[in-house]
Amino acid sequence: MLVRLALHAMGTRFELVLEGDEDGPGAEAYLRAAGEVALAEVEQVDARLSLFRRDSLLSHIQRNAAEQPVSVDPETFALFELCAQVCEATEGSFDPTIAPLMRAYLLHDETATTPLLTLEQARECVGWKKRVQLLADRRIAFSAPGTALDLGAIAKGHALDLAIEVLRDAGITRALMHGGTSTVAAIGHPLGREGWPIALGAGPNAPRVLLCDDCLAVSAPGARSVQHEGRRVDHVLDPREGLPVQGALVAATLSRSAAEADAWSTALLVNADPKGLPPHMESLIGMTDQEDERVPTHWFHRPRITCTGLSGFCDIPQSRQATPLQTV
Amino acid sequence: MTSSDRRSFLKGAAGAAAAFAFQPDLSATPRSLSAPLRVGLIGAGRQGRKIMGELGKFEDVTLAAVCDSDARRLSGAKRRAPQATLYSEHKAMLESAGQLDAVFIATPTHQHRSLCEDALDAGKHVYCEAPLAHTLEDAKAIARAARAASGKFQTGMAGRSNPVYSLARSFVRTGAIRDTLSLRSQFKKKTSWRTPTSDPARDKFLNWRLDPSISLGLVGEVGTHHFDALHWFTGQYPTSVRGTGEILAWKDGREVADTVHCEFQFPGGVRSQWEASLGTSFEGEYSLLAGTMGTVKLAGTHAWMFKEADATTFEWEVYATRQQFHQDEGIILIAGATELAAQGKLKEGIGLPHPPLYYAMENFLVAVGEDSEPCCSAEEGLRAAAVAIRAAEAIRTGTEVAIPEKDFSLE
Repeated sequence: MLVRLALHAMGTRFELVLEGDEDGPGAEAYLRAAGEVALAEVEQVDARLSLFRRDSLLSHIQRNAAEQPVSVDPETFALFELCAQVCEATEGSFDPTIAPLMRAYLLHDETATTPLLTLEQARECVGWKKRVQLLADRRIAFSAPGTALDLGAIAKGHALDLAIEVLRDAGITRALMHGGTSTVAAIGHPLGREGWPIALGAGPNAPRVLLCDDCLAVSAPGARSVQHEGRRVDHVLDPREGLPVQGALVAATLSRSAAEADAWSTALLVNADPKGLPPHMESLIGMTDQEDERVPTHWFHRPRITCTGLSGFCDIPQSRQATPLQTV
Repeated sequence: MTSSDRRSFLKGAAGAAAAFAFQPDLSATPRSLSAPLRVGLIGAGRQGRKIMGELGKFEDVTLAAVCDSDARRLSGAKRRAPQATLYSEHKAMLESAGQLDAVFIATPTHQHRSLCEDALDAGKHVYCEAPLAHTLEDAKAIARAARAASGKFQTGMAGRSNPVYSLARSFVRTGAIRDTLSLRSQFKKKTSWRTPTSDPARDKFLNWRLDPSISLGLVGEVGTHHFDALHWFTGQYPTSVRGTGEILAWKDGREVADTVHCEFQFPGGVRSQWEASLGTSFEGEYSLLAGTMGTVKLAGTHAWMFKEADATTFEWEVYATRQQFHQDEGIILIAGATELAAQGKLKEGIGLPHPPLYYAMENFLVAVGEDSEPCCSAEEGLRAAAVAIRAAEAIRTGTEVAIPEKDFSLE
């Protein structure tokens, strides 16, 4: 039996498919109830980490952390620790302190709780290492006012991780869940198949992945954009330069943690160099040599070094080994 | 209903609202307490988890103990509150955690009575989630125990401590909508209301809301919050109720209705419609108070006022932020607006900076710390529970059921 559920949260749509062994109304009620608890986790993360809700924990942190350290729950603190870790490993290609810059480029709508600064002021506010301190007793502090966090590149993955944990806890053995089609998490595989088949984009040449007990994240710059001073600004910014991303066309990652996959896919879009990518992760970066081309003409693949045997990218056209790769 | 009846419906009506003068002090920074408090939580399920989340914002409050009879929920609580001592039995918690000042109770409703009695008996201050109980007998027993106890007692109602509701109430109570014509509340959420488990013994424990012998269903678990808020706004309680409850969305063998309609009769002719469904999410949860000069809409962290064209214009309206709902334009009610307007930050004040639960908890913690009265007593909790219990009876019997004064009384 298959049960499908969905939820609007975090400015996108989450969708969930659950497969059970048995048929009948009891089995359906059980699968649905499990799915609802998983989606309730997503709602809970949205309520906790949304930049667009004044009553979220994140808004509470933004209001207070520059004046005094703010205590947070263990789940949120673990997420901040992961942010610090990925920020360091990617040398700032992933950096949640980018929020004031996103707002300055008008990539956040009016309801955002981020301060509205000039581009110059906003650039000053970016930099996790200098701006954010994680303290004992699960407290977070900002070193200066104006600091703000945009967890948009990691929160969907975080929500999926918590949702998947709840599903496993409820005894679910086969499920696929995604947030906005860009972050995906799988439990087990569909009956009679080795994994959940997913294509990276449309067209016959799109690379694929068979996802099994694993998570996938895909980032692309063109998903949303605004006009800023007469030019198009895509929704992914380079935190190091304070400019729109000009590197890869698409970056995809695999990890057992959806949050980690999520953060790294954004980082690799900003800087197409998987140098610091943890050995348990896999990445695939699509690029082009031609200007104005929006479809990748070649792909760089970095397979898993440890944890092999899990899901992997396949059907990659014109793949090139990606280590080492020059920064673009 | 005569016009003087209608006016008396709004006790204390005093002409047009004096606008910002009534606004509660709204600080986004959590309030410091006069002394540190150690608190315990009984019930680590859905609501218990929300309570844990909000408690974390109070620097002076330590969640020292968590109790739940379900081992899996307790292990979840350990992850979320590693500093807390865990108990599977509440008496052990009340006895051994001797330094607990207060206890939050967020268990299934039918367990509230014995837990409240034991906690009050142990000298603890008690915050108990609504509804207080699923029977009049239990609700009255809790109210009696609270009256006799030395500790504070607060019923966990979401409306009374909500700053934006306070502001809306100040408008209503001073005649901004003039004569009240009707009240309407709804709760719509597409959910099966079921907790998944493959263990039949756990299923009975976890899915107590779907057991008609111990659950009032939607009218109890959701309705009490609306009934209490409307009472707080109008100063009135209904005298009778009619209702229907059907299983329309989730035909999975359940016996508790997933779609409910009730109509309450108030003294003087005003009626209140209450509607809830677990089969649709459309328009979510809100309450409306409609009057001859305007309608107030309350929706958790937000509230609006829709004015009739012939209503008096308030001086501050030029600064107000408005929101369009199809052909109606609502003025967004902003708590602390005077201060925010002075700083040019009025728009930043739209929506509360914390969820309503936070304010209910803050109110309780401050009452404990400063020896003041909590905003929603056990007797108020009893009154809202009594309305829900009579509504459930009306739904069950298919008849109009009276809500006698004696239901509300402890004598």
